Amino acid sequence: MQESLNQAKVFEMGTVVPANNITEDDFTVVSLNGKENEKIDTPKYSYWGSVAKKFLFSKITIFMLILMLVILLMSFIQPFFSGYSLSNVGNINDFKARYNWPSAKYWFGTDANGNSLFDAIWAGARTSISIGVIASLITEIIGVIIGSIWGVSKKVDRIMLEIYNVISNVPSLLIIIVLSYSFGNGFWNLIFAMTCTSWIGTAYFMRVQVMIMREREYNVASKTLGTPMRRIIIRNILPYLTSVIVTDISMALPSFISYEVFLSFLGVGLSQNVPSLGRLISQYSPYMTTYPYLFWLPVLVLALITISLYIIGQRLADASDPRTHM
Amino acid sequence: MNNSDRETLLSIKDLEITFGSGNSKFVAVQDVNFDIFKGEIFSLVGESGSGKTTIGRAVLGINPTSNGQIIFEGKQINGKISSKEKFETERKIQMIFQDPSASLNERATIDYIISEGLYNYKLFKSEEERVNKVKEMLEAVGLLPEQLYRYPHEFSGGQRQRIGIARALIMNPDLVVADEPISALDMSIRAQVLNLLKKFQREQGITFLFVAHDLSVVRYISDRIAVIRAGRILELAETEELFKNPIHPYTKSLLSAIPIPDPRIAKSRKNIVYDPSIHDYSTKKPKFIEIKPGHFVYCNETEAEEYKRDLK
Repeated sequence: MQESLNQAKVFEMGTVVPANNITEDDFTVVSLNGKENEKIDTPKYSYWGSVAKKFLFSKITIFMLILMLVILLMSFIQPFFSGYSLSNVGNINDFKARYNWPSAKYWFGTDANGNSLFDAIWAGARTSISIGVIASLITEIIGVIIGSIWGVSKKVDRIMLEIYNVISNVPSLLIIIVLSYSFGNGFWNLIFAMTCTSWIGTAYFMRVQVMIMREREYNVASKTLGTPMRRIIIRNILPYLTSVIVTDISMALPSFISYEVFLSFLGVGLSQNVPSLGRLISQYSPYMTTYPYLFWLPVLVLALITISLYIIGQRLADASDPRTHM
Repeated sequence: MNNSDRETLLSIKDLEITFGSGNSKFVAVQDVNFDIFKGEIFSLVGESGSGKTTIGRAVLGINPTSNGQIIFEGKQINGKISSKEKFETERKIQMIFQDPSASLNERATIDYIISEGLYNYKLFKSEEERVNKVKEMLEAVGLLPEQLYRYPHEFSGGQRQRIGIARALIMNPDLVVADEPISALDMSIRAQVLNLLKKFQREQGITFLFVAHDLSVVRYISDRIAVIRAGRILELAETEELFKNPIHPYTKSLLSAIPIPDPRIAKSRKNIVYDPSIHDYSTKKPKFIEIKPGHFVYCNETEAEEYKRDLK
């Protein structure tokens, strides 16, 4: 067919062809190809590919991502080289090492004990970030699992609502402080105290989301195909909730870091020998006017950590919503 | 045609479906009686809110019934039945949904959507067999096997509806409830889907319960039709019989409302308006009475005599 088309005289677009020049030979029969009708020409769609494309599209996101990576690398690698220890007061008698303002030698200056603030901040950031990440992971995992069951089972709903009503009416800060007092100070004790009740908020949030999704028609369709509830949750409902879960994580992570800072400031939570941003801030708060760098640098690093985590989380949540992919 | 020697696949007896309880109780469907024979396309027609979808969903076990029986292959499938029995009948009765974009999981590939039922009932021996089954099914509904790993939103409405048909029919069901399968589709692709359903009825002997409100579509596709209004079946007959000799006034008014694609004829036609108050059911209770062989009408005895007289 292609050949016969080539043999026919080809006219430019818009030229007027005299009617008597057209013969029957100029026409060829083109049959309708049913298979061709069904073809989809758009490139293959990949959910996570589109998420990555959308996520990396913004320059602010890339800047925040780099900032976060630098902070993470510094706080997880630098302490190994500096060997910073809170209880090390070896320089306390070296007067030249005390209260140095930030300089080429001491980037962030030194404190009353002659310890470098630069080392102290990264060692502290490591603890704070670890607590934030671990606590929000535990909260989200327990919250999402329990929330999904809560959202589909009427029996569980009745019991959980009562538990939720009781727990959510007690201030969470009070619960955390009481728990960390009674279990004693320590890294894992603090995480336990923070996650002990925080998951119920996430679970309640997930319950509502699951309830909205579960009566959608495609879930009814899955039910008529004999799909068990567990698979409906995993394959049908949770994929739709990716972006709300990511949003929730992006809010939980900075808030856990702030909790740790606040508790350490009050002197509850971590044991005496563990450095953290909260401890640095509380320890240096008397120097706010005399040696302001001692107080403001840890605060600045804390702000950078929470802001970058929050913005990245929000951008990731937006990008993971397929409605933004168009 | 004699219906008595045909095999009954689904039989509905005195079905009643209510929603809510106490003061807010609402009776959606009542006194519904009909049989569906093996291999036929049985249509339920009625206006919006008449309860046709509710009946379809009750057959699938999505809507709980408050009274009456649904008997499928000789066994009751509504009310309290063991989860094992329910699981078994779920495979045999499948559903085609009205809205193809709402009824497909947007985050799953076509491969998973069509195989979902196969996974649940382990209807394959090896991964290869499963993929082959899915590919065969895709070709049977006119889609291309290379589209296996695409997502629903990449398809057109007609293609999506055919995916919905494929996922129901791959289960090898005995009965398929098609809940207005073409009302969400464009005019130009309705025939495509209807012909596909007819093809499966002809080639595989699948029985359909077809729910629709479009009478011309129903006339084209079905073997028998039941007309439903306000939760009650008013008339049931074979397709041509119903269109030629409608007995119940409501059916007559429905048929007079079918659009005619010729303005001159349409202008001269008289539309019949149905007024439910013409029935006086205060003394004699109405029943589902067989006026002619295979032609049932919901009326009381006085009306039945009248209808029979009019026939002659």
